[in-house]
Amino acid sequence: MLQTLRHYGSVAVCFARLAIQRQLEYPLFLVSWFLMIPIQYFSGIWMLKILVDRFQPLNGWDFPELAFVYGLGLISHGIMVVLFINTWHIDNMVINGQFDRLLLRPMNVFFQLVSSYFNFIGLIDLIPGTVVFLYGCHLVGFEWTFANMIKLILVLIGGVLIRASLFIALGTIAFRTKKNASMVGFALSLLERATMYPLSIYPYVIQVLFTFVIPIGFISFYPAVGFLGKSSGFQIPFDLALWTPAVGIVCFLLSQQLFKSGLKHYESSGS
Amino acid sequence: MLQAYAYITKMRILTNLAYRFEVFASIGSNLILLVASVFLWKAAYGGGVVRSGGIGLQDIVTYTIVSVLLASIFVCGVQDTIYYKIREGQIVTDLYRPIPLLAGYLADDLGSMASALVNKAIPLIVFASLFFGFPLPHSVSGLLLFIPSCMFSYAILWLLSALVGLVAFWVMELGNMGSVKDAIVRVLSGSLVPLWFFPEGVQTVSKYLPFQYTYQTPIGIYIGAAGTSEALQAMAVQGLWIGILFAAVVLFWKKTKTKTLIQGG
Repeated sequence: MLQTLRHYGSVAVCFARLAIQRQLEYPLFLVSWFLMIPIQYFSGIWMLKILVDRFQPLNGWDFPELAFVYGLGLISHGIMVVLFINTWHIDNMVINGQFDRLLLRPMNVFFQLVSSYFNFIGLIDLIPGTVVFLYGCHLVGFEWTFANMIKLILVLIGGVLIRASLFIALGTIAFRTKKNASMVGFALSLLERATMYPLSIYPYVIQVLFTFVIPIGFISFYPAVGFLGKSSGFQIPFDLALWTPAVGIVCFLLSQQLFKSGLKHYESSGS
Repeated sequence: MLQAYAYITKMRILTNLAYRFEVFASIGSNLILLVASVFLWKAAYGGGVVRSGGIGLQDIVTYTIVSVLLASIFVCGVQDTIYYKIREGQIVTDLYRPIPLLAGYLADDLGSMASALVNKAIPLIVFASLFFGFPLPHSVSGLLLFIPSCMFSYAILWLLSALVGLVAFWVMELGNMGSVKDAIVRVLSGSLVPLWFFPEGVQTVSKYLPFQYTYQTPIGIYIGAAGTSEALQAMAVQGLWIGILFAAVVLFWKKTKTKTLIQGG
């Protein structure tokens, strides 16, 4: 057991090193990302600031609290992009036959899929995420106690797992249809709009959908409700911040089942 | 000569109409943006009680719908086309062609725009009307001025796109600078939040930049935020920017042609 773990660990490290080297081969290529991503996300939070300043807090969420949710959502997005970006490209790998290579190796297919690309560029997403979140924490007077820090880490892990599960579930569609790139883009914009603003601004139906059906409300909204002592549309028992890792693990296990059953139906594209 | 361009446009329309699935996803993403923005505004207005500078909630909902519509129609593929063709070295075959490179790309983008009008704008209008009411113009004269103003907007956006696209000839290592420009345009064009809500300082600076004349000007005319004389004035500025950007593209292209470096083969 221990030996297997060590083996998997060493493979992951080796893959990561290769991926980073590959991405740093043309360092100037990163310049456009370095400019675009911070501009995009900082301007997003700036828009919220303008709205709150000109009008009023959004459904009782003032700017510091909005920054907290926005930052929390963005950090989990950043971590997801660094670790799991290959789940976006399953269709491409199926079409050009790269996926067949994973099936031939004596290792867990999902592990290979995810570990074969450590997305160094995704760290850029974490810069605005961390800055906005820390700023939000400062404004709301977030207490950096040991218990809160543990909770925060659990929330981030849970949030990343929920996001990853969604993309894994979408990826398994590619096993049958060979094409799902457009659904990935769709899911990305959905996640962005649903996790970076408080869920309570949306109508009841959407809140139900994002709480019980596709539980993306647990990525940033419910944990923020818990941390900031706000009220949400639903009375959810226990500590809200602890729901996120629980939901995340359940989603992830479900998505693994989907992935496995999808693999059974997998037929190579034959290229 | 015009036949060549018409052919490029026609082929682009036919190609785009063939890819249905991509279209659904694009409509989906636009709908999410639309719905999210509308509810954000509803929360900000708090049930329509608050009014800011005479702009009511219904006006701003109309603004948002028209903005998302325009964004789905205004296709400026030229920057990506140039960038990818240079990276792959395919630009060389386009340079061989007996028509000017940029004009060919414009014909291509116009084709995308025509197909987007059919398969993206119409479904979006139907959806928006069902949920938020049909986005009616403020007045007939507003509607009549809106249409030419939109054409001017597209000209500005396309020329900006071409200008950034040409940068790829000089520094292809920098990645796609077009996405950086797009991120700036999204904010400063007032496509999400109209600039009249921005802090004074930003508004003043923005008057001397081309961005607000791309989305805010036509939509402001549509919802009646700008009267007829203001609208004509803004359109004159649009015309001025088209002139400046056109001259810049022509000059830059002249310089660029001599500098072309073909990668790979």
